[in-house]
Amino acid sequence: MTEKKVFSKLGESIKKGEFVLIGRLEPEKTCDLSYLIQEARKMAPHVVAANITDSAYAVVSINSMAAAHIIQRETGLECVWQLTTRDCNKIGIAGQIMGAHALGLHNILSLTGDHTALGDCPETKPVFDLDSATLIKLVREMVDTGSINGHEIKHPPKLHVGGAANPNSDPMEAEILKISRKVEAGAEFVQTQVVYNIDIAIEFLRELKKYNIPLFLGIFPIKSYSIAKEFDTFGSGVDVPKDILERWKRVKTSVSDKKEQKKNYDQLNYDLFKPFITELKSKGLIAGVHCLAAHYTRIFPKLIEVIKS
Amino acid sequence: MTIITTKKPFEEILGVLKNMNKIGLVSCGNCAAMCQTGGTEGAKEIVKKLEQEGFEVVVTIVPEEVCDNRVMMKDFRKIEEDLQNINAILTLSCGLGVASITQVLSRMHPEIPVFITTNTEFMGMTERIGRFYQRCNGCGDCLLNETGGICPITTCAKSLMNGPCGGMVRGKCEVGNFEIDCGWILIFNRLKVLGRLDLFTKLRDPVNWSESGHQREVVWR
Repeated sequence: MTEKKVFSKLGESIKKGEFVLIGRLEPEKTCDLSYLIQEARKMAPHVVAANITDSAYAVVSINSMAAAHIIQRETGLECVWQLTTRDCNKIGIAGQIMGAHALGLHNILSLTGDHTALGDCPETKPVFDLDSATLIKLVREMVDTGSINGHEIKHPPKLHVGGAANPNSDPMEAEILKISRKVEAGAEFVQTQVVYNIDIAIEFLRELKKYNIPLFLGIFPIKSYSIAKEFDTFGSGVDVPKDILERWKRVKTSVSDKKEQKKNYDQLNYDLFKPFITELKSKGLIAGVHCLAAHYTRIFPKLIEVIKS
Repeated sequence: MTIITTKKPFEEILGVLKNMNKIGLVSCGNCAAMCQTGGTEGAKEIVKKLEQEGFEVVVTIVPEEVCDNRVMMKDFRKIEEDLQNINAILTLSCGLGVASITQVLSRMHPEIPVFITTNTEFMGMTERIGRFYQRCNGCGDCLLNETGGICPITTCAKSLMNGPCGGMVRGKCEVGNFEIDCGWILIFNRLKVLGRLDLFTKLRDPVNWSESGHQREVVWR
């Protein structure tokens, strides 16, 4: 982290150089967050923080700032508030950033956001006044200078801001150069998209090493064969390797007892991610792991085992 | 450069001509002729359809450029008598043509309503007749010197200043089912060929909307 100031547990962990596990919670189209609070409670003992998605896939969900605030308040689990540039202009976003601080949120993940055309309101106007890099720049301006466009903020927000990176991006060189803009803008950490190919992960992370920024590897432990297929089809630019799909399929077809099936899937994930994470960690390429699998909290104790091993 | 237009459904045009049976037709001889939405041929086609529906087309003109106030002033003067006998003008041109006619008529015949038969799509690059592509939005703050001649405002579905975004997969854009090229990858490839990836890496500020916003004018004399 370039800034020495610490505003959150995540910021503190990064500063101390602790290897972190970050979770992810996905608010849905509902005003009742009890299901998410339950999930957050199960996740909380294992992770330093959890990402709260902002209408992922451009599908309307309860506001991510409200959800993050309620989750933090109810469970004590620190949140990384995902904020996209899709839905608000600079005035709206700057107002939200101050609102987030006032509500006790101190980590932002800056994202451009999926295009409105992909979601459940395709007729609506996509904003994209800012993009993921200029949103990072805005947060840094507000936090570091206590102003917006040179106009003073009476009580400036105190937040950490990170960006995203996609190891699967082809051409990779364009992605790596793109990340340099986010670093220049003032990103304090980078969370990667899910990657299953260790060689690609190593190549990508090595290239990012020059930016000297904490990198959190995106992983997606696969809860079931149907989720593996779904993720392979709909995960933007992420291919689930055929051998993984085969192994998961074998569990579905050969194990009929549901409890046994779950145990098998969990073990497969452990066997898949243990060598993967261990290798990247031992090479000093990652500062932590961001687990993107929603509704799969029972995997966290196993992930902790992996991380501590 | 051509202003690209497409035809509105004829039923929609009939809908706006209710209770008006004497029509004056203005068909643009420039861009709309090229798009086959106007010109002499476009006029003939719509005259036939209107007559089949019982309308009387009192006069048809095919001006060189409907969007030019001077041309329209001159051409309307030539048909001054016919203008006395029509209920409406139907325009086979882009939106600029209608704006031009409306402005010119406001001085001569403000009582005559002006209707359009097309939808104005974009300012287009012509590959050949029937293949027109939007490559410039006319945003008023041209970036092309920094982006290898490829406009991100136009070719990026999100008009990003710092692309590509995570919606790019193998050079294609998430909008349009990964069939359309990602503008920022086109820019990357072009700048790479030119040996100017330093321009790709540049962190760009957001578009300044205070300067490229509402109803622009260029007035220099």
